[in-house]
Amino acid sequence: MLARTVTIRNALGMHARAAARFVHAAGAFQCRISVTREDRDDRHVDGKSILGLLLLAAARGVDIRITADGTDEAEALGALCRLVDAGFGEEP
Amino acid sequence: MTRVVGLPVSPGVAWGPAALMLQRHPAMRCGIAASGVERELGRLDQARDTSATQLRAIHARVSQRAGAELASLFEAQVLMLDDELLVPRARRIVETDRVNAEWALDRAFDEFCAVFAEVGDEYLRERRGDVADVVGRLRRNLLPEAAGGSRAIAGLVTPVVLVADELAPSIAAQIDPALVLGLALETGSRTHHSAILARSLGLPAVARAQDVTRQIRPGVLVLVDGDAGEVVIDPDPDVIERARARRDRRSASVGVSATRAAGPVATADGVPVRFLANIERLEELDGARAAGAEGIGLFRSEFLLGGRAIEAFDEEAQFRVYRDLVERMAPHPVTIRTFDIDESQIAGGGAGEPGPSRGPLGLRAIRLSLGHRRLFEIQLRALARAGRHGAVRVLLPLVSSVDELREAKAALRSATREMDDAAPGAPAMPVGIMIEVPSAALTVDLLAAEADFFSIGTNDLIQYCLAVDRTDGRVAGLFDPLHPAILRVIRDVIRLARPRRRPVALCGEMAADPGALVLLLGLGVTEFSMTPAAIPEARELVRQVSMRDARRAALRAVRLPTSRDIAALLAARFPALATWPAGRDGRPHMEGQS
Repeated sequence: MLARTVTIRNALGMHARAAARFVHAAGAFQCRISVTREDRDDRHVDGKSILGLLLLAAARGVDIRITADGTDEAEALGALCRLVDAGFGEEP
Repeated sequence: MTRVVGLPVSPGVAWGPAALMLQRHPAMRCGIAASGVERELGRLDQARDTSATQLRAIHARVSQRAGAELASLFEAQVLMLDDELLVPRARRIVETDRVNAEWALDRAFDEFCAVFAEVGDEYLRERRGDVADVVGRLRRNLLPEAAGGSRAIAGLVTPVVLVADELAPSIAAQIDPALVLGLALETGSRTHHSAILARSLGLPAVARAQDVTRQIRPGVLVLVDGDAGEVVIDPDPDVIERARARRDRRSASVGVSATRAAGPVATADGVPVRFLANIERLEELDGARAAGAEGIGLFRSEFLLGGRAIEAFDEEAQFRVYRDLVERMAPHPVTIRTFDIDESQIAGGGAGEPGPSRGPLGLRAIRLSLGHRRLFEIQLRALARAGRHGAVRVLLPLVSSVDELREAKAALRSATREMDDAAPGAPAMPVGIMIEVPSAALTVDLLAAEADFFSIGTNDLIQYCLAVDRTDGRVAGLFDPLHPAILRVIRDVIRLARPRRRPVALCGEMAADPGALVLLLGLGVTEFSMTPAAIPEARELVRQVSMRDARRAALRAVRLPTSRDIAALLAARFPALATWPAGRDGRPHMEGQS
């Protein structure tokens, strides 16, 4: 199991389209992926559930912790962190 | 046990498991039998598939026109459909809680919203809108277009108490009294169509019961007390026992009033008064006869449509209903009002689209009939054919000028020309108009030259005179049948019709109120048409009042400044009215409230 913390950088935060990209990326991997907010680690949501990700209400500047668990966990974690770091390809 | 106080709009008491219906998405929320689970799951899956197909099409269209970036929102929506928290969650709710698909979907969305509501960030909370959009699409796809409410009503298999925020007349018209025991409504009033319908079916109903759709979950036992105006959620056993005793006494006393009902009735000083029935379904005819109705004073033909488009109802089908009415009511007359509907019941009328007013000032009733001449002529031909089987009287709703009356009569002539040519000499059907619009009330003398009879529709007349939309709860309290203006306008209508000896009946709900009935007698109204259930009591009241006293009270009442003063006058001159009707609930009069 691997985990890493990344910061939401894009202006709109983890909104519907961003969350959809995250789910698409996560869906490419076998491993289980969960996400939580660093400041409120009470709620772990499924990284492959778009509604779960929306429930995080992760606006710009929020730190989220991504946990990957399974055979391809390293690749998954790398890909997802790059996506978030790149601001989901949107305006910073 | 929780009590919610509302407005009693239809007497009686009933209890049973609740079914919910919400007007904003007119789907029934109800419990289902174990055997219904598969069907509801199938409906959810079908709605999911339809929604996915629609969203993919939208996605393709938007990416072509506005670019992939904007279009990707719809990809996100497709993902939401299959998210564990939405359709799969709703499926589990159907299986574990045995509720229908609509209710399960709403529950899943509510759960999601509950979590979201905890989130402080205003901007991200708005993201809920995207999900609401998807849920709205699923809801729409669960329902065949426009027929949602009707189908929900038709789909009932076990008796329920219907709990609704609002009940459209077209949906109310489909109520099967064997399957709907009573109504608990958040809106409405005594004069709302749904209340009128409830009374005609003998269904206990309470209106303006605040928040009942939120407080009551489907399947919970609910008691509707249409006498006290109370909805009891999860009633205690002793409350039900008392209600049962009350219901049994009532059904015994109805038998008594029915036997007293036969024959003509007159005031205590011998002035004859006629009572006719307001009905909207053929099945009500026997009840009307049993209640002592001397004819049908108002048949609301639009209820034949039952929410279907007007085109769905052809001449033959209409004719058969009208003919059965006159044959079964013979020798008494049957007054059939032409369709009193608005555009939403014309196919292609674009219900729900923004546009000019569909409200009380819009294109409706006779205005609509004159604008859709072909449909109007179909109805007039059906009426004329029925007229050869008995005494049919044609009643035109919402007439506001002599021109409209002439145009309608011309339409009747043209519709029946072939028939008249084929069999000349048939007696012409009397054509009358509803007095509902102030302009008609003020010109009754002019209209009397060309109309054969008048029928004062107090519900609409009050609405237009007092400028009150009675469906708007915030102003419904201003709807005041005893407003001095109403008494004066009724007095004047009677006076203006007198020189030509045109009969004036009154067919609004106003006459079901004992105090108002006395005043109306005094103003000179001697023909009333009302819901059959109200006739026995009204007849009994007429027997006990002398026309002389009523006339004096009316003369005084029209000079009083407020309806409070008028009510006080009635209380002083007719003290018995305060406890009328005597013997309600089967109690002897003397034992009343103490």
